[in-house]
Amino acid sequence: MRMARRPQVRRHTLSDRVVHWGVALSIFLLLFSGFGQMPMYKRYKVADLPGLAWSADYGATLLLHYIGAAVLIGVAAYHVLFNLRTRRLGLLPRRGDLKESVQIIAAMLTGKPEPPSGKFLAEQRLAYAYMAATVLLLILTGLVKVIKNLPGVSLPYAVLKWNTALHNIGTGLIILGIVAHLAAFLLRPNRPLVKSIFTGTVDAEYARKRHPLWNPPPAE
Amino acid sequence: MAALSRRSFLRRSVAAGAVGAGILYGLTGRAEAAGSGTVPMGSVIDLTRCDGCKGEAVPACVAACRTKNADRFPEPVQPILDYWPQKKHEDWSQQRDVITRLTPYNWTYVETVTVEVDGVAQEVSVPRRCMHCENPTCMSLCPFSAIEQHASGMVEIHQSACMGGAKCRDVCPWGIPQRQAGVGPYLDIAPQYLGGGAMFKCDGCVDLLEAGETPACAAACPRGAITFGPREEMRALARRRAEEIGGYIYGETENGGTSTFYVSKIPFELIDAAIRKRKAEESDTRPGRPGMPVGVGNMLDTPTGLALSMLIAPVAGVAAAVAGAARVMKKGDDA
Repeated sequence: MRMARRPQVRRHTLSDRVVHWGVALSIFLLLFSGFGQMPMYKRYKVADLPGLAWSADYGATLLLHYIGAAVLIGVAAYHVLFNLRTRRLGLLPRRGDLKESVQIIAAMLTGKPEPPSGKFLAEQRLAYAYMAATVLLLILTGLVKVIKNLPGVSLPYAVLKWNTALHNIGTGLIILGIVAHLAAFLLRPNRPLVKSIFTGTVDAEYARKRHPLWNPPPAE
Repeated sequence: MAALSRRSFLRRSVAAGAVGAGILYGLTGRAEAAGSGTVPMGSVIDLTRCDGCKGEAVPACVAACRTKNADRFPEPVQPILDYWPQKKHEDWSQQRDVITRLTPYNWTYVETVTVEVDGVAQEVSVPRRCMHCENPTCMSLCPFSAIEQHASGMVEIHQSACMGGAKCRDVCPWGIPQRQAGVGPYLDIAPQYLGGGAMFKCDGCVDLLEAGETPACAAACPRGAITFGPREEMRALARRRAEEIGGYIYGETENGGTSTFYVSKIPFELIDAAIRKRKAEESDTRPGRPGMPVGVGNMLDTPTGLALSMLIAPVAGVAAAVAGAARVMKKGDDA
């Protein structure tokens, strides 16, 4: 039996989804290989798990970290330039977003109506800014680490120490960000977006109700 | 269609590129400045002169090193905890007198082995300590940047930033740094679950060296087997000496180049084999007795080859963005 399909609208373009999954998968690889740079997989017996013996090999995890970094940098460069060129700047935060985010989250928790939004909610713009800034911090401090690893390069110790500290802090921030991002889907009103990040579309009805100021393009 | 004009796009791209290049240029400028004031230093260890202070209870270099660094040796807090979930920890505090290997309380030792050359057994004494690599893998790969390479090229571990994971020992071709549990900043965090102590090794007497003085081991050697000086002079000295005796140099190419040049009449392959044989005979598998693998590579060589991908990746991303954006703007849709 075929279910009647409700009308859909385009929420995430193919470009958006490629960027999202490129960033998500490369950051997953970077987190796993980055934690492998700390002496922990052997001690905590992760390397004893079947198929994971390589995780205690610093050479292997460092190579994976470089590969993940190249993918993340490539996708980030694409994302920034593509959105600048096509003037898709709706995710940049605006004045008053903090206050409005509080209202939206309060509305979600209490079931009251949310303030009317365009394509993006204020909290989505703030979340984007947080993730983008953290990724930028990690990329920049990571590049300094790549330069430091080159033969013949000796950076001043203070630069090295601060850079390492910032890269490690950035790691903590990105983990917090990912946890918050996933926790958002514990709230029912956010759940239609889970489907959209795979298929690219949401119900037209959902878009009309939650984003009354948005004029969404059709799904096809 | 509210697209960025081609001209403003180009202007912004050039500006962004200039800022990026400036950052890189600024960094390399500083990197060069780090070497000014003090030239890289090095040392020659002449194995034709060292006899391991035969007849003495403690070789002079070892005794001098222990005296000089005595107040820097670790004083662990009791009880020392295991490295959960492992049922072990590294504790040398009850064996401070051990002088036959590297420990947190013994930063140099003399390995004496018998090597058979052309059917004749010869005894060789090899003073061992940190080689002070030109591109130290321990420094590059320390997750907390607890290791500093001084302008003199000497490599020092700052125990105040060390969590004691012993990664430096794992990535060192000689496994030089040694761990003592029960000391270091990990005690202030969650000592039961994180961290393992602090790492200790020779710092090249960087304080003396940068003040123009002679490191303790070299000053104490009664046979003049250890010489410190500007690295390039030491390299030249080692080459001259090796030519004189028809011998070999160790440390010039190993791990991508070090500041320590061993000179020996006996090939280092034989010395390495003799050290390994003796350790096997003694069933000695604990760290702190390094071999002398000839031509051992630097584990950062492979990542260095990959570093270029960090430059290619944004170029690829930019190319894809330009092409993709052009397509979208041409169609004028939201595909």
